Amino acid sequence: MEANKQKRLPLIIGAAAALIIIVSVVLVAVAGSSKPMQLSTDKSHSKEIPSLGERISAADDFLLVAQNDDYELYYYEPRFSLKVVNKNNGAVMESTVSDEKDDGKNNKSWTGYIKSGIVINAIIGTLNTYQVDLNTVPSKIETYAIDNGIYAKISFLGDYMFDIGVEVRLEGNELVVRIPDGSVKENKEGTYISTISVLPFMGYTYLDDEKGYMLVPDGNGALIELDNKEGRYSTGFSGLVYGADEGMTSSSAVPVIWESYETVTEPSTVLAPVFGMAHTDDELAYLGIVESGDERCSIEVVPNGIMVDYNRCFAKFLLRDVFVQPLNQSNSGTVTTVEKDRLHSDLTVRYIFLEGDDADYTGMAGAYRDYLLENGAVKQRDTSYHTRVDFLGTEREEFLMGTKAVAMTTADDISDILDELSQSGVQNVISVYKGWQKGGLYNLPVTDYTADGNIGGIAGLDRLITEQAEKGNSIYVYDDALSVNAKTHSTTYNVMKMVNKRTFKQEHNRQVYDLFYYLMPGRSSTNISGLVDKAGKRGIDTIAFSGVSEKLFSYSYKGSFYSRTDTMDIYDSALEYADERCTVILETPNAYLWDRGDAFTDMPLDSSDYLYIDREIPFFSIVLKGIVPTYSGYVNFEANKTENFLKMVESGVYPSFYVTAQDSSKLIYTNSSDLYSLEYTSYKDTITDYDAKLRALAQQTEGAFITDHEVLENGLCRVSYSNGTKVYVNYGEVPLTAEDMTVEALSYAVEEGV
Amino acid sequence: MQRLKRLLICFVVFVLVMQMRPSVSADTPYVTYTINGYGQIRQTQCAYLAHATLTKFGSEAMSEPSDICIAENGDIYVADSKNSRIMIGSADGELIGTIGEGELKTPRGVFVTDNYDVYVADRDAEKIFVFDKNGSKKCEYGKPDSPLYGDEVSFLPIKIAVNDAGIMFVVCESNTNGIVELSPNEGGTFLGYFGTNYAATSLTSIIYRAILTDAQRAKMVSNIPATPTNLTIDDKGLVYTVTRGSKNDTLKRLNIAGTNMISNHDDTYAATPAAVAAGNHDNVYVADQQGYIFEYNNEGEMLFVFGGPDDGTQRVGLSRLVSGVAVDDSDRIYVLDSDKAQIQIYAPTEFTDLLHNALYLYSKGRYTEAKEPLTQLLKMNSMYDYANKAMGSCYFQEENYAQALKYARLAKDHKGYSDAFWEIRNSWLKKNIMTVIMALVILWIAVTILKRADSKRHILDTPRKAIKKFKRKSFVSDICYAAYYMKKPSDAAYGIAAEGRASWLASTFLLLVFMAEFIILKYTRGFLTKSVMDGRYEILSDIGMIAGIAVAVTLCTYLVCTINEGEGTIKKIYTFFCYSLMPYILLTPITYILSHVLTTNEDFLVVMLGILIWGWVAVIMVIGLKEVNNFTAAETLKVILLTVFAALILALLIFIIYVLWAQVFEFVYAIISEGVYRLGS
Repeated sequence: MEANKQKRLPLIIGAAAALIIIVSVVLVAVAGSSKPMQLSTDKSHSKEIPSLGERISAADDFLLVAQNDDYELYYYEPRFSLKVVNKNNGAVMESTVSDEKDDGKNNKSWTGYIKSGIVINAIIGTLNTYQVDLNTVPSKIETYAIDNGIYAKISFLGDYMFDIGVEVRLEGNELVVRIPDGSVKENKEGTYISTISVLPFMGYTYLDDEKGYMLVPDGNGALIELDNKEGRYSTGFSGLVYGADEGMTSSSAVPVIWESYETVTEPSTVLAPVFGMAHTDDELAYLGIVESGDERCSIEVVPNGIMVDYNRCFAKFLLRDVFVQPLNQSNSGTVTTVEKDRLHSDLTVRYIFLEGDDADYTGMAGAYRDYLLENGAVKQRDTSYHTRVDFLGTEREEFLMGTKAVAMTTADDISDILDELSQSGVQNVISVYKGWQKGGLYNLPVTDYTADGNIGGIAGLDRLITEQAEKGNSIYVYDDALSVNAKTHSTTYNVMKMVNKRTFKQEHNRQVYDLFYYLMPGRSSTNISGLVDKAGKRGIDTIAFSGVSEKLFSYSYKGSFYSRTDTMDIYDSALEYADERCTVILETPNAYLWDRGDAFTDMPLDSSDYLYIDREIPFFSIVLKGIVPTYSGYVNFEANKTENFLKMVESGVYPSFYVTAQDSSKLIYTNSSDLYSLEYTSYKDTITDYDAKLRALAQQTEGAFITDHEVLENGLCRVSYSNGTKVYVNYGEVPLTAEDMTVEALSYAVEEGV
Repeated sequence: MQRLKRLLICFVVFVLVMQMRPSVSADTPYVTYTINGYGQIRQTQCAYLAHATLTKFGSEAMSEPSDICIAENGDIYVADSKNSRIMIGSADGELIGTIGEGELKTPRGVFVTDNYDVYVADRDAEKIFVFDKNGSKKCEYGKPDSPLYGDEVSFLPIKIAVNDAGIMFVVCESNTNGIVELSPNEGGTFLGYFGTNYAATSLTSIIYRAILTDAQRAKMVSNIPATPTNLTIDDKGLVYTVTRGSKNDTLKRLNIAGTNMISNHDDTYAATPAAVAAGNHDNVYVADQQGYIFEYNNEGEMLFVFGGPDDGTQRVGLSRLVSGVAVDDSDRIYVLDSDKAQIQIYAPTEFTDLLHNALYLYSKGRYTEAKEPLTQLLKMNSMYDYANKAMGSCYFQEENYAQALKYARLAKDHKGYSDAFWEIRNSWLKKNIMTVIMALVILWIAVTILKRADSKRHILDTPRKAIKKFKRKSFVSDICYAAYYMKKPSDAAYGIAAEGRASWLASTFLLLVFMAEFIILKYTRGFLTKSVMDGRYEILSDIGMIAGIAVAVTLCTYLVCTINEGEGTIKKIYTFFCYSLMPYILLTPITYILSHVLTTNEDFLVVMLGILIWGWVAVIMVIGLKEVNNFTAAETLKVILLTVFAALILALLIFIIYVLWAQVFEFVYAIISEGVYRLGS
């Protein structure tokens, strides 16, 4: 017995020692990993609070706080209410609903909302549904005079304990409202700011009291008229600028038929952070531009009849979001979690006021164009006319145990096609060559400049690009710098993880490759510069980028969180590197990349068909025409070709085709089986036709801006250019006449400038 | 007066502008799908664009409208249920008139005949009202007094269709007997129930019914046939019905005898059908409550499905609760949304117009002309299999069988392919029959001469010797032994058991040949009997499956035999198992050739050959098992049963291990992510 015990003793000691070691290792690990995880964003614009002048009091009535030759700015402290008065015509825009205009139909909460210049949505615990405004929540405001405006320190008390500071300046015809990052304080543990709506009723109108419209940044631009909507709509427009954050919210359930086929298409994203209100009878309008904080901001454009009977548009900043953290793989256990850190950026909205003839959407577009040019957010590019004819190189289909190439268009095919087009008058074509890389279209990411053997190899591609360049055709190699194909590339590292630390997945119901990931922005950036360098060494400097130009997300990496601001900065510098060395085409770029591309492709021509949209306008086309050339989506897949063509005429967008040398039925077993109509022979005549017509039109508007866009009373659409050229477009089924110009049904006419 | 007129015009224009909201967008918020020859759902060009939305007629709004009908002249009739009236409006949104105000209670169904008589099914009034062109009541029909109708059955008409003879087909709420067929004579004579659906009886429910007690049986879901949800009637007097929950029988086209003439096997049915409308080209539209619109051809094949539910984003062309559908002369579809109280008009695109044109020309027998729109269709979408199929049919009708074959192959159209192939084979045979016979005769003569020469001068001795020598090699002789096993399994198996004829090498070689033939046959057999899609290869899993089965069977048999005092070793069992595949190895080339030269009509030959091959394999395998182990017949049976049982247990075991492993994995994963989450916060 005793002997037994003695024998066991070392064992016990050993076990105890092992246990201690394990415990300490675990503790060290825990201590190591429980370091505070901070948002790495520390990009400072001008986050400091301005130097304050004397305290002012505007507790009883509106007080004039700034003025210049054209405008006066009045301020009423208790509601943080601003009033802008145009001295020339006396027109007024106000930021909160006045007592006279209160229709008395609203409950306490909505009354509080409509009469507050700042409305916050608070998070308590994990619920983000608490409305914090200046009327229903106890609050304190101290206002100080500053140059051309005021600075208000607002404290929300009671359950919330938030402090924010709002700087308001009147600069010429512009009103700049800024909430400095440093002034935002959440003083109570567990109570956070979810969203801040800045001047949610700026320039509001009641039902159809005033004529005019609101600008919606949906698709190419749209308008909601300020008429009585009779309560027909249940929601207004609400769009997160630059699209949804895929790193934050897992995509919501979309309607499917037969349990697998998605039936509803995604609405287009908000490409630029703008909104606008025009009172056309009063001849006063403003264009709102979100100048900072735009990457976490939604544009809200709400017509009357939705909760309250006022028309309003505003910017709503998302400071802190709530996301779902799954605890197991089957996602049966989840916890709702609040973001660790809030958005760290100034929240700035610039209202550019427009009067007289400029108080309309063309005025707004012109003001936005000037703003972009002044701030270097777009650069003047070569806007000469080109028809875009893209080619699909190789795809893959399943074969034996792997895949085999399906060669659709080789480098030599492209040479032949372009030569043939050239003979029929289609010259100076630009072409994006998709599926040129080794392994075909979906061998992603592209990390090297190596062409697929089936298209003629790297030598063939080089020869094609250089030879065609001499003939005036530019061929761009296509790079989806965002996606990773799970089957062709190892995915352990470098793929984007959402903020809940789950790998972001994009599943498609496709034949060969059905799972894709996103690359980490850093890796995208390395790949982009790698491709630029490697192609540059071989003398190739024409590249088209997609993916990184369209998407913006938050992500997590090794326990740290990175915001959309980080992603935006990384993409911007990567594409800046590319733009400095190459001619760059960007696919549907967001506004922060508008200074990085020599041309934009796949720009929307339409809106997303919301019920409450009254008119579609080519807003962004008016902004960009004459600065950066923009190209349409592919004509191939358009159902109504005539109308689509007229839209291109109207908006000055150049046409795009997607063709292959081989019959598209060869693609039936590939991931591209939805590209049902590609063969060049089917499109040759259309390309020639479009090229001839649109080239002639483009020559008449060469280098000019669009100065006016109007739908005349009889339905004829008139676009005026800065060189005096006028383009008339008739979408109707009967000929229309205006200003001595008769335009046939479903046709257009041009009146050349003098 | 002049001024008044101008004002009036202004007003009309104003009203028009107010009500009509033509959307000029070419981008729709929904996707259009079609089905390809393999039965796969594929995206295609937009078939119909959201053209305009009618929220009002004049200044009159609808309230919970439940049915829509378009008259010959294009006027729209809407059963405005909550407002207890029928509204008549134009496609421009003008109000033409209302009918039945004060008379109707809740009109749920409306039908307009060619001479503008308006039939209204009023649920709460429990009557059918008939109004004439001017809106005055002509007559009404209440519950039929015929005993056949059933005294206890209520009469709650909700939908109605009327044929040229004035016979009414009425769908009644909570009447499960079928569509009520009423004759206009003598105030509504009950003619009987029409187009009754059959209750589906599954095998499980039969078994349940047999073993359950009465009380339990009463609790089961009742097996009452579903009543049609809605109906319509076309120019030819054919009645279309849609029935919810009837899967592939959701849409029926009933002739005057009530027989269904449409068959759909593709599962392309509407899950919650709300309404049906007959098109202008023998086509038919079904609208689903959720907002999906289906278009089928006259055989019930789906041409398109588009639209969808409004997910709250309020986009034009999506619906909340569809209650009616109608089609006008220009193929525009009018979809009535009872929740939104509006009519959404969809206009066909260029693509759809081409298809309809082709359908029309084809139905008129103008095959050559029909090819023109079909060519354009295929130019727009070369993967549209329906157009390929129609193209194949056109060529077939023109007796251009080579082209017909090509297009049928593209469309994966078995019937078309078989027919065209039959014609081609027929003409080939006609042309070449003499040559073939001559060749056979010459061959026969040559062989005879050779044989004679051989028997006289032994000229074939040298090759004969060489063959003999070759056969004596051990590997070759083992293979030959396998062929012998096929003929005399009993004797040969004894050889394997007792005379050392078992061979790893030969067996494995045969197994590999089997695999190769299996794979070649599977992927390259004739189109008509091929079960895999072109271009789809799963060779790795095929090999894995065959190898897995071979290993599992050998192993299980060995284990079971050992327990049962069998004499076979693994090698012997493996050998007889592989040798038993010999009939397949030798006969498969014949199957292969047959699959390429037979049409669907002679398909049974391939099937019979298959049965022969597998029967043979099974028989010699059993005999082999018996002989190799030296079992009696009873023992053999027992071992076979035990082997099957063992195989099942093996499968179960693997399954259990897999499930448990997945659970363990999930558990560990959950702990880790919980840990990461806790530490992270």
